Amino acid sequence: MLSLTIVKNVVKVNYYRDSVQLLHLSQQARQIDGIIDAAVVMATSTNKEMLASLNLLAQEGKVATSNDMIIALSANSTDAIDSGVRKIEELFTMSDQTREIRYRSVNEAVRSLPGANLALISTPGDHARELVLSALDNGLNVHLFSDHVPQHVELEIKEYARSKGLLIMGPGAGSAIIRGKAVGFANAVHRGNVGIVAAAGTGLQEVSVLVNDVGLGVSEALGAGGGDVKEEIGGISVLQEIEVLERDQETQIIVVVSKPPDQPVRTKILDYVCSTAVKPIVACFLGSEDYEVPIEGRGRVRLTRTLHGAVREIIKLTNSTCDPKLLAMDPTSLQSVAEQNWKNLVQSQRYLRGLFTGGTLAYEALVILDGLVGDVHSNSPLKKWLKLPNAFASYKDSIIDLGEEEFTAGRPHPMIDPTLRNMRLLTEARDPEVALIMMDVMLGYGSNPDPAGIMIDSIRKAQQLSKDSGRVLPILAHVCGTDQDPQKRANQEAKLLDVGVSLFPTNALMVAAAALIARRGEIRLPLERFYEEYLNEA
Amino acid sequence: MEKILDLFNSELKVVNVGLELFSDELKVQRVKVVHVVWQPLPRLEKEYEDILSKIL
Repeated sequence: MLSLTIVKNVVKVNYYRDSVQLLHLSQQARQIDGIIDAAVVMATSTNKEMLASLNLLAQEGKVATSNDMIIALSANSTDAIDSGVRKIEELFTMSDQTREIRYRSVNEAVRSLPGANLALISTPGDHARELVLSALDNGLNVHLFSDHVPQHVELEIKEYARSKGLLIMGPGAGSAIIRGKAVGFANAVHRGNVGIVAAAGTGLQEVSVLVNDVGLGVSEALGAGGGDVKEEIGGISVLQEIEVLERDQETQIIVVVSKPPDQPVRTKILDYVCSTAVKPIVACFLGSEDYEVPIEGRGRVRLTRTLHGAVREIIKLTNSTCDPKLLAMDPTSLQSVAEQNWKNLVQSQRYLRGLFTGGTLAYEALVILDGLVGDVHSNSPLKKWLKLPNAFASYKDSIIDLGEEEFTAGRPHPMIDPTLRNMRLLTEARDPEVALIMMDVMLGYGSNPDPAGIMIDSIRKAQQLSKDSGRVLPILAHVCGTDQDPQKRANQEAKLLDVGVSLFPTNALMVAAAALIARRGEIRLPLERFYEEYLNEA
Repeated sequence: MEKILDLFNSELKVVNVGLELFSDELKVQRVKVVHVVWQPLPRLEKEYEDILSKIL
């Protein structure tokens, strides 16, 4: 007898739980006896599309709005559905009861924590303003994780903070390390004398991890949010942060990481670091454009195009005795690793694909590929005309930033929930034109507890799909993390090596290898020149 | 500037608003943190919205 699958949506109107709590509830709901599939999500359009693709969207869910929550289940009987709904409701009650005391307002929370000095705010961006103002009025510095804060609000709150002698890191600031503690998405790194200012979240992570890898350490690492270096904002947070690190006694060298600032902001930053600051400074404005360092800063202020290059310059400026091999695969060994990967490709496999969870790492990839292979398509491209019309479908050489809005509205960031990347990996593997897939694996506090482990099934399936079509599919990865991180880098790397993934010590080296593989060694720049100009390996 | 430097020179104490995950991760690192539960304002019935828009 045929058994029909029943799909039911229960809509809870004006009911809110954060996306990470809902991810955990969804995982628990799938384990309930008699339930075929389940998801508990806020009713955003992205989530409704995802429910539809999983055959979990019913009529009730279709008409729900983004303030509502959908409990979506499928089962073979109405009894199983009803029992499943009851158990999910119980899970809600249990998760609320096991929590410690929680507060309803910033004012109330501050009263309960004398000496509070930082507010970490991660609500949807259009609700952030009042919370930030309340935090500032209570004398707190603010780490504003929320994105999509309107620019006029960003300017208003930053000017207000500055007038009170306070700092706002963000909006859109993913990471910070304060007194050795990881705030938001950040890694456990050794303490030391390198201070980091980053208007680029995973840029902060990569630099702090590489600094750790070469045997140095981080004094403080402060996020600023990508919008800070726009002309309208004028680099308010970046300049405050450089100034405060100039005054911090632990910090002996400062690295500033950002996508290319608008020209007036770049001038302002360079003028400040050259004329007013006195500590050695590395400015990594990701990109291929060459800037001139004002004469007062020459020698003390260094510019780099990549995150890898920034750490190279830090090593030079600190006269560090650390082993440079920790960071480098020399051109010969990189070429050799690439050749091992390209020698078994079939002729149709011509294009590279990058599936990134870290936005800055995706951007660094685009910068490097612009120099090595030319035009690369992306949902967040270097040039407007290279924007993919549909972020869910790659075209020729493509780099996908899975942290962009189209993938994250109402969902946890892919560094927490890599489901969409796992699905995309299989889509790419089916494409006969794909020569390789490269991925970042982000470790640290805030990230998935086992990001490599959770990809293994999909990696195996992707490899099998290619094999079934008579191809091999090289998969490249860079694990951005340390052995002190909760996930332990060595464990994560071992899992990836076990399924034949090629690993690289930096994102930049992985991307260069990808270019070599896709082009069978025929890249636009001689490899030695790439090392010199992009990696500062002179 | 002193209030910013205070972040580096005093114990880090955090008021977390939004993702509860961040509270949990700070607690693991033995950072003192209190959590503020945030919820969007409930959506009003259209009838009430219309009345409010007329009188406000």
